[in-house]
Amino acid sequence: MSNTLKDYRTLCLLSALMAMLVLFIYPSKQQKTPTYSYTFIIDITRSMNATDYQQDNQAVSRLHFVKQTLRELLQKLPCQSKVGLGLFTERRSTLLFEPLEVCSAYTEIDTAISKVDWRMAWAADSNIAKGLLSTLEMLQKSDSSVIFITDGQEAPPVNPNYQTDFSTVKGQAKGMIIGVGGLQAVPIPKFDSLGKQTGFYAQDDVPHRSTFGQSNLDPSQIKGYNARNAPFGSEAATGSEHLTALHETYLEKLAAESGLAYARLTDLKNLNQVLQNPKLAIEKLVQTDIRRQPALLALLLLSLVYLPRLYKFRPFFRS
Amino acid sequence: MNWAVNSPWALTGLLLALLPLFNSGMRTSPAPWTALIPGDTLSAFVVCCLRLCAVAAIAGLVLGMAGLHRTEQSRERIGHGAHIVLLLDRSSSMDNTFAGRAPNGVDDGKDAGGTPPRMGKVEQRMERLPRAMHGAIAEESKATAARRLLTDFVKQRQTDLIGVAEYSTSPLFVMPLTENKNAVQAAIAATATPALGFTHVSKGLGMAISFFEQQPVTGSRIVLLVSDGAAAIDHDSEQKLREWFKQQQVRLYWIFLRTAGSPGIFDQPEDSRDDNAGAMPELYLHKFFLGLGSPYQAYEAESPDALKQAIADINKLENLPMHYFERIPKQDLSAVCYGVAAFLLLVLFGVKFFEVKR
Repeated sequence: MSNTLKDYRTLCLLSALMAMLVLFIYPSKQQKTPTYSYTFIIDITRSMNATDYQQDNQAVSRLHFVKQTLRELLQKLPCQSKVGLGLFTERRSTLLFEPLEVCSAYTEIDTAISKVDWRMAWAADSNIAKGLLSTLEMLQKSDSSVIFITDGQEAPPVNPNYQTDFSTVKGQAKGMIIGVGGLQAVPIPKFDSLGKQTGFYAQDDVPHRSTFGQSNLDPSQIKGYNARNAPFGSEAATGSEHLTALHETYLEKLAAESGLAYARLTDLKNLNQVLQNPKLAIEKLVQTDIRRQPALLALLLLSLVYLPRLYKFRPFFRS
Repeated sequence: MNWAVNSPWALTGLLLALLPLFNSGMRTSPAPWTALIPGDTLSAFVVCCLRLCAVAAIAGLVLGMAGLHRTEQSRERIGHGAHIVLLLDRSSSMDNTFAGRAPNGVDDGKDAGGTPPRMGKVEQRMERLPRAMHGAIAEESKATAARRLLTDFVKQRQTDLIGVAEYSTSPLFVMPLTENKNAVQAAIAATATPALGFTHVSKGLGMAISFFEQQPVTGSRIVLLVSDGAAAIDHDSEQKLREWFKQQQVRLYWIFLRTAGSPGIFDQPEDSRDDNAGAMPELYLHKFFLGLGSPYQAYEAESPDALKQAIADINKLENLPMHYFERIPKQDLSAVCYGVAAFLLLVLFGVKFFEVKR
């Protein structure tokens, strides 16, 4: 008996058994791990149809690229992450579904993202500042981070006199603005009622200024100014609003005002990285499986018993 | 048998399982000349068994650490149920109560259910109405009532595939037909956000029917339209909808949330001048649905209770035999692996005491 116990093999097996005992008694422990919950709000206004992204050597629209990248991102997100989806157009956004756990609802989220279409827009204006504010207010109570994906193109461009005040949500909202599009201005495709492209928006097709309220210019500078009848003067507004590029400075300004972070969408890797922002993480107590550690110990001890090289040193262990 | 592991790299540890093949793991006793000892089949067998035990124990530990599991399976079953697409009206009037008021008691008078849009591009209720309920159920908005009851409805329909589509001025694809009830509930819960523009029912119906494309025809196929108003459907759309309803064999249930004082589905016009789709869109939409040739049932709900009745009816009626796939969730097998390994370790340990030491 004593000889048996003196043998290193027996001791190894005994320790391995102890390790297994520990494994069954303490299989898991509570651990704080950062989890992420994102509510993606996708801009589906017309300018998102502009094709200034490249994919497989083909020009694809901003919206297509966003959808594709989000679908790929979905595969990368670890289980326990949550993803919700919403759409922005006009001056507000709507939520399609509340955040869902990505592993159990992967197909559903993936299909829903793939079905996002610019034709889902319920109105054709685009006022991003108001849209952002309404989104942040709408989702204020949820602990999900708002990921507002837009190109910053507004139609009509906002009058600087009537800027949105973000003071009510600043500091409470959590999230990011993701800018999409290239910095070179490109034309916006025009579609007919059947969804076929019929060319591009021309200069005369789009409003180049907002004619709401008072002009932001000094009345003496405005040609044909009349306080009641022509507060914006008699000249037709011209501009390049029919072309679209990513309004990065504008989005950065909005992000600063609303207390969100800003990043530009270039590729999946980059998006995945910026979304891992620790500010967006929610610390959650999760039961973590720690059975590996005692199992590894038991495995090493068991291997030691059968290790051929030790065979040579057998005399050392013999009493 | 779809087995998989969480961390494939851990499987390299399986190489360790080869060790017992080279080493018996037993103490050796000196013998003058081993060839003198006669061969013993039983001993050879026992040694072989012990080595196999060791191999299995090591393999068990490694597989347990790698996180062996059986992937999610689905089993085909025959039960009772339906494929249901919930088509929800998101027009702004859904945010009002059945009495046509905003839930806080203010009559904002905009887009009263059913009446054609009176204001063009208006400031669409940009002022956030406080959504505080003042206790009374009667103050509940139509959307809230619909949401509450649909949530219950989905809970009761465990075997169904349910999809969600919404429409206002344009149709919104929300959730494909799925057995994942959590996902459906998340979509229904999201309708708590403020409603959108106007009522464009034909596009919404088109989208709802498109859910059934590439789905096997089994059980009943239902579009459950929940709306508080209607809109005239143009001729082209009528034609297409007729065709699609027939093609996809879809049954239609229309729960019409009637606002007090607004025209209902079954109202006949008092004045013959009002007898057109523009003035009485609800009646005309109802007539169109009746003429679809596919089974159709309309409910006019003037209060949350009536809505409850309509949903109970559907619950009772739509239980045709249906093939469906039951999901068997992913099964973790690492506990089994560890258990087996621990047992074998115990055996190996026990056997140690039978070794003879001279």
